[in-house]
Amino acid sequence: MDSLHAIGFYLSATLALGGALLVAFLQARPQRGLALAVVGLGLAGIDLSLSAGYAGAVVLVCYAVIALLVANPQYRSVASGVGERWRQVGAVGAAALLVALAYAAFRGDFVQATFNGGAFGAAAVGRELFGHDAMSSEAVGGLVLVALVGATAIWRRREGNR
Amino acid sequence: MTVSLVSVLFVSIALVAVGGFVAAWRRELTASLASVPLMLGGAAIAFVGVARFAAATGPALFGQAVAALLAVSALALVALGIGIAGREGPR
Repeated sequence: MDSLHAIGFYLSATLALGGALLVAFLQARPQRGLALAVVGLGLAGIDLSLSAGYAGAVVLVCYAVIALLVANPQYRSVASGVGERWRQVGAVGAAALLVALAYAAFRGDFVQATFNGGAFGAAAVGRELFGHDAMSSEAVGGLVLVALVGATAIWRRREGNR
Repeated sequence: MTVSLVSVLFVSIALVAVGGFVAAWRRELTASLASVPLMLGGAAIAFVGVARFAAATGPALFGQAVAALLAVSALALVALGIGIAGREGPR
C-alpha cells in the first residue's frame, strides 16, 4: 500500500472515529445526524483506501439516508427501560475497552498480522465460525437466544400490567 | 507510513466499542439506534481489511460484498426502529 493510500486511510479513520464520538455526545438530533453522515464519509474513505470502492459507494449512500432518518425531528422519543446503574456499567465497560485498545496500540507498535485461513470467502468464514470457533459461535447463539426470550418475557409482562 | 491488517482491526474494534458506548450511554432508545450503524460499520471494515490483506490468496470481493450487505442492513435496522417508534402527535 503506497503512502497516499495510507494517508487516506488514517485521515478517514480519524474522520470516522471523531464522528462516532460526536454521535455519542451530541444532544440535538440534527447534529447527531450530521455526525453520522461524517462517520459514513469516513467509512467510505476507509473502504476506498482499502481498494473497496464499490462498498464505499454503497456505504456513502446508506449512511446519508441513515443520517437523514436520525436527524428527523418528527419521530417520538422512547425512554429506555434499563436502569441508570446498568447504563453506567455498560458505558464504563465500553470506555474501558476503548482505553485498553488505545494502550495496546501505544505499546504494541502495530505488529504485522496476516490471515492464514486460505482464500477469504464465505467458505473460509464458515470454516472459522463452525469449525475452528464452533464453541464460541454456539455460546454467542445461546446468549442471543436468552436475550431475545428475556426481552419478550419482559415485554409481555409490561403489556399485561397495562 | 503503512497500513497493516492490525491497524484496520484497531479502527474496526474502536468503532464497535464506541457503538457499544452509545447503546449503553443514551437514555433514549431512538437515540441508541445510532449505535447500530457504528457497530455494523466497524464489522464491515474488519471484513474489507481481511479481504484486502488476504487478497494474495484469493479474490478480495467477498469483503466488499459483506460491507455492502452490512451497510444496507444498518439502514434497514434504523428505518425499522424509527418506524416502530412512530411519529410525534396524536395516534
